Amino acid sequence: MILEPSTEDFAQLLGCINDLVSVAGLPAIWSRDEPRQIGATVLDALFGILGLAFAFVRLNDPEGGPPIEMSRVAPPLGEIARPRDLAVALGLSSDVRAPRPLPKSELQLDGARFRVASVRLGLQGDVGILVVGSQRLDFPVRTEALLIQVATNHAAIGLQRARLSLAQRRIAADLDERVARRTAELSAANEELRREIAERGRVEEALRRSEAFLAQAQRVSSTGSFSWCLDTDRIVFSEELYRIFELEEQSTVTLEQIGTRMHPDDAPLMARLIEQARQIGGNLTYDMRLRMPDGRIKHTRMFGNVIVLPDRRRECIGAMQDVTLRILSNEALDKARTELAYVTRSMSLGALAASIAHEVNQPLSGIITNAGTCMRFLAADPPNVDGALESSRRTIRDGHRAADVIARLRGLFGKSYVAAETVDLNEAAREVISLLSSDLRRQNVSLVLELGDDVLAVAGDRVQLQQVILNLVRNASDAMSDIDDRPRRLRIGTEREAGDRVRLTVQDVGVGFDPSAEDRLFDPFYTTKSDGMGIGLFVSRSIIERHGGLLWAASNAGPGSTFAFSIPCRTEGGSSATRT
Amino acid sequence: MRAMELLQGHPSRTLVLQNRGVETIMHSLVAIVDDDESVRDSLPDLLRHLGFDAQTYSSAEGFVESGAVGETDCLLLDVGLPGMSGPDLHRELLRRGCSIPTIFITAQSDRSLGTRLVAEGAVACLFKPFSDTALLDALTAALGTGA
Repeated sequence: MILEPSTEDFAQLLGCINDLVSVAGLPAIWSRDEPRQIGATVLDALFGILGLAFAFVRLNDPEGGPPIEMSRVAPPLGEIARPRDLAVALGLSSDVRAPRPLPKSELQLDGARFRVASVRLGLQGDVGILVVGSQRLDFPVRTEALLIQVATNHAAIGLQRARLSLAQRRIAADLDERVARRTAELSAANEELRREIAERGRVEEALRRSEAFLAQAQRVSSTGSFSWCLDTDRIVFSEELYRIFELEEQSTVTLEQIGTRMHPDDAPLMARLIEQARQIGGNLTYDMRLRMPDGRIKHTRMFGNVIVLPDRRRECIGAMQDVTLRILSNEALDKARTELAYVTRSMSLGALAASIAHEVNQPLSGIITNAGTCMRFLAADPPNVDGALESSRRTIRDGHRAADVIARLRGLFGKSYVAAETVDLNEAAREVISLLSSDLRRQNVSLVLELGDDVLAVAGDRVQLQQVILNLVRNASDAMSDIDDRPRRLRIGTEREAGDRVRLTVQDVGVGFDPSAEDRLFDPFYTTKSDGMGIGLFVSRSIIERHGGLLWAASNAGPGSTFAFSIPCRTEGGSSATRT
Repeated sequence: MRAMELLQGHPSRTLVLQNRGVETIMHSLVAIVDDDESVRDSLPDLLRHLGFDAQTYSSAEGFVESGAVGETDCLLLDVGLPGMSGPDLHRELLRRGCSIPTIFITAQSDRSLGTRLVAEGAVACLFKPFSDTALLDALTAALGTGA
């Protein structure tokens, strides 16, 4: 029998198709693929379309977290507000891992009876579960069941998509995160690299500064450094050393080349240096002169040190300083000092010249007067021959006196050698006395000689020692030239002293000397004679000191003074020629 | 100074001259005061040959102490002497009124010294070495003609 659908059925079917179309349009809403949104819209759609008493959906978390539970309830069930409470009422365990029986098809809640339909979402029901309920006893009819199924299917598809989308988003986020991390790492590495480059730049800068500093130091101190490999004779010069040697900068330097710059007299030194470096090693210090092609001489001081490198090669590294300036200035300083000393000694040259003229003019005056007198005597009628003889004799004596003065002066300024001969001091004293005897007699000086028997010979210059004795005797005689109240006694004595020395003493009873002037007596140009030159005692002391002896003066207990000198007998006294 | 003290007791020179009369001029006494031996040795013979009497002293003090100041007709005076110097002696003699004609002799070479001494009243200043004729000229100027 073919049953023709009734109008009611038709309307029902139309209604169902409309509903299906509505449900089919749901996915269009789910643009954001958000499970909650999907769940909510499905619940709302079904709740609205089917006029349900309640609707519940649980959506599982693909990652095992707590499921999303959502519900809608119609007023009679207003008290069961929370989805969880509804789930409990429906007998749904919250534990997703527990076996999941579907809720019963009938349910009693708050004294009301409901018909329940449940659908699992997803192919294996792992997406979730949908439970709807109505108070109608025939719920759900076929169309309703169909609607529920379709809506659920859509929801499931939507949720699958949402999961996929989420997974995709997760992967993308993960990727982003990894990229960001990688970028951060690269950034950090880049930063590190930049820092290294900056550091390297700083180090290079410091190195450049240090090198410039070193080059400057070398230039300022005229010191150049070098390294010389003893095995290969490879030589490296610093910039300054090229300049010192006046070789072209950066050119190859060989030992031969260095040799051409050596002063010919110092070539043996260089040979010795090379040999010492090769055979002995260690530290080397050499003072060498260089000679430039145009003849200029440079004085250098070289310091070297031979080291053994890890690979057993031997190298000499060192420095060479141009000390020409220092040497030259030292020489100039010495020369200036010598000149200054000479000038200081000659300082009173004007006064000295005046003194010389003064001293020499005295005997000259005597010579001229005597010669004039001699002529007058000879021109007299009759000629006074005796007078002429006496005048002539005096002329000769005065001539000798003048020569004497000159000789004394030479002792002050010339270089005197102490001739090393054996001198008998007694004999020397006697000779001087015989020379002065007539003068002393004329001056009414009574001479007392006390020459010791055990006086040993001394080593020295006889003439110079006699000069000293002459000076002392003359001074003694002069000191007594105004003495009239007592005999003008002049004592000359010699004696042996302890330690193998000989002492000669000249004692007078003259005017004596001022005790305060004692230390000035022997100063050059000190004189009590207004026309005296004052060099006698100064020169005498120099002579005695050159003989290794001492000359001194003392006031007598009585009137007058005593002058004495003491010189050693042995060879250390003055046997070697000494230069003043 | 000792020399000063001794000068106090001497009669003035003018008196001495008058006492002596013309003969004095014929044998004028020349006092030579010089500390240099060569000078003291050589001058007396020459002076005596020229007709003068001569006495020598080695210092100003020696001359004054000798007591011959009043009898000296002419003074040959060295500039540089030990103790009192020649010019000092000359000045002191002038101060005491003993105006003995004085001829300075000196081994110094400063010519202005001579000018100064002559300005102070010396007859002349001779620089050593001087010739015997120069000495005679000075003596003549001091005393008139000699022998």
